[in-house]
Amino acid sequence: MNPLCNRAEHVSRRALLKGVLGTAAGGVVMNWGGLTQTALGDEVKKQQKHCIYLFMNGGASQFETFDMKVGRPTGGVFRPISTNVAGTQICELMPKMAQQMDKIAVIRSMKTSEVDHPGGIYLMHTGYRPSANVRFPEFGSVVAKYQGREATALPNFIKIFGHGDAGSGFLGPKYQPFEISPEGQLPQFSGSNLSPEKELRRHELRNFLEERYAQENPSELARMHRESYEAARRLQGARQAFKVDAEWEKYKGLYGDSAFGRRCLLARCLVEAGVPFIEIGQSSYDSHADNFSWHKGLVPPMEHAWAGLMTDLTDRGLFDKTLIVWAGEIGRTPNINNRAGRDHYVRCWSAALAGCGIKGGQMYGASDENGVEVKDNPVSEGDFFATIYKALSIDPTTQNFAGVRPIPLAPFGSKVVGDLVS
Amino acid sequence: MNINNPKLLWQLTFEGAWPTAVAFLGSSRKLAAANQDGQIFVWDLPEEPPMFEPEKKNSERKAPNHWPARRLVGHTNGVTRLIATADGQTLVSASLDHSIRLWQPNDAATGTADAILDADERKNRAKREKKDEILTAPGVTVETQASAVALAGHDDWVLTIGAGRDGRRLISGDASARVIVWDMAERREIVRWSGRTWNWIVAAALSADGQTALVSEYRYKRDDFDIPAAALRVYDAASGNEKLDILKTMFPKLKPGETSYGSAQVWRKFMAQGLVAADISPDGALAALAQGGETDTGKIQLVETATGKLVREVSGHQYGATDVKFSADGKHVLSTGRDTTLRICQVDDGKEVTALGSPRGGQFKDWLSAVAISPDESTVAAADIAGMVHVWRLAN
Repeated sequence: MNPLCNRAEHVSRRALLKGVLGTAAGGVVMNWGGLTQTALGDEVKKQQKHCIYLFMNGGASQFETFDMKVGRPTGGVFRPISTNVAGTQICELMPKMAQQMDKIAVIRSMKTSEVDHPGGIYLMHTGYRPSANVRFPEFGSVVAKYQGREATALPNFIKIFGHGDAGSGFLGPKYQPFEISPEGQLPQFSGSNLSPEKELRRHELRNFLEERYAQENPSELARMHRESYEAARRLQGARQAFKVDAEWEKYKGLYGDSAFGRRCLLARCLVEAGVPFIEIGQSSYDSHADNFSWHKGLVPPMEHAWAGLMTDLTDRGLFDKTLIVWAGEIGRTPNINNRAGRDHYVRCWSAALAGCGIKGGQMYGASDENGVEVKDNPVSEGDFFATIYKALSIDPTTQNFAGVRPIPLAPFGSKVVGDLVS
Repeated sequence: MNINNPKLLWQLTFEGAWPTAVAFLGSSRKLAAANQDGQIFVWDLPEEPPMFEPEKKNSERKAPNHWPARRLVGHTNGVTRLIATADGQTLVSASLDHSIRLWQPNDAATGTADAILDADERKNRAKREKKDEILTAPGVTVETQASAVALAGHDDWVLTIGAGRDGRRLISGDASARVIVWDMAERREIVRWSGRTWNWIVAAALSADGQTALVSEYRYKRDDFDIPAAALRVYDAASGNEKLDILKTMFPKLKPGETSYGSAQVWRKFMAQGLVAADISPDGALAALAQGGETDTGKIQLVETATGKLVREVSGHQYGATDVKFSADGKHVLSTGRDTTLRICQVDDGKEVTALGSPRGGQFKDWLSAVAISPDESTVAAADIAGMVHVWRLAN
């Protein structure tokens, strides 16, 4: 794989528009119920809340991060360190986050239902298991809908090396994520190689033709096409928001000199610019072999960047309005296999939340002595997303419609973990 | 080294945490092995093993066990490497607990303790017979001994140690890219230097006279999109001055900081997932480098230390090599790997003379994690993560 370009960058403008038009038709029909909830959306938007999803692709090990089992057969080779919360210890790989533990809430009792990567990634981006009948939206799309702003130059849902592939689902193409490269470069289709004058002339001609067409053929599909094109044009004027070279030189020390650190800095810049949802991915946690070496390689730059992000957001007065979600799609097995690895595990694993009213300094739930089963306060994927929505001032029971079927944001029966949200 | 119809003499039970390191202590009948919990045991082996018949035809146990005599107490986390002076008077251990410890295993013991080395067998029996008391029943009584000296200077996992054949100098490297050369007699640092930021020192070796150091660096993944990094350099061991950058010599077009995967592939064929073990031939002319990590090739690379020229690839451990050593005459190179074999190859032509042990079938079946050669070169040993130390006599 070439790290300089990803799949999204190979999509031509024509292909993009074709895709947008294709999905728009379904989206408009399926999401008609959502149109009735504009009052709720407007109210939520006033909150101006943001969410940054730190996604640990492949599934980071709970044993090598937040739920150590030192001295147990499942414990592994790392040692715990104390944190700035009395009596709380985490893995030695996370010294900077150890000093920010008073700001974060760790859930040590995640119990989810998809044990492999595709299903797990879908689950931990939507709150739902994959279904043949319903295209559930990623929670980034939900946040874009309820916390996003209309007619902004920047997209409301941006992925920097994001990993979810569910997209906006039944919410429709308006809330589709805008994906940029692992290095934070914009996709090729987001720029025009025409001179501004030529581009303007072409735009005016296209606009004229579309308006004439719309007058004679009033259609939701055509309207969405125009909106998509307008959004792409507006982005031209906001490209500067993605250029962080100067900021990077200044903040490299705070975030750590890593690709993930740079992504976190870009996320902060985008939050400042008003983007409600940004997903940042870090890859390669699927450590079926050499789990300890891999985590010793992966976790330090990640935690350095995460701690830097929290500091930076706090310094700028944005921490209280920005929810940070840290999770992968799965956890890892208590058993250490004969490749020095840990395999997939979802019966008991860890995730974390911070900012935006999350009550920091707590370890919520508990695993048993070997980390095999949840001992206290299990948290399902539904509970997890219900809590996230609550923190973002979005009612998790809000329903959208897939056809005529009402779908709540978090699955029916999900409970907000009240101890985590103030 | 005389290799003629090698015979498996012993399979020393060392269950629980994985055995990670092994070394002979001045004799083919005295050896030490360590594991991932930081335990080190010393075995005094009888001259000949007793008669042994495997319980089952396909049993992994094909030779008798013998219990250890002594436990060396001190490490609080996994031991990564063991080396011993030729006379067996001093054993050196490197550990994930950030320390290097020196032991005099021939000194008087300081106490006794009960040791359980058959933890896996007990678990199976306890489950089969439904008797939990089997797990905690007394084990073997062993002497105990504390370490004489702990060398402090590393602040991270000490992943590698190496020594000159005269035993006067020691080199060590850690996961924070720090390298230290030690004076063994005075137990003090001679010089220290650092590799590239974020790299780990995964292998280090000294020439026979202790004058030249070979250091292999590797950076484990920080992300798919961070710059892949590694280094392989020869240094003056007294000053820490670089004498040769082998990777630069081998891949002159590869720029430091190059981020493209195309470039990474150039050196990945040579580096695999890091050259995780290294040794320098007795005459100082060649370096043997083991391709580690979980990799298909697991080759042993032989490189000229003066020029950085790749002489040849030898052997190959499917899924990765773990350790490598030259024989005392420099004619053979011995290696272990994730294919559960100990392979012995001729240096001159790369021909494999013998492969001891056998792949256990299927993918990813345990590893032999380390190799040791007895001072008289009659016997070799390998640590097996399945919970054994195998001991072979090379000529029978």
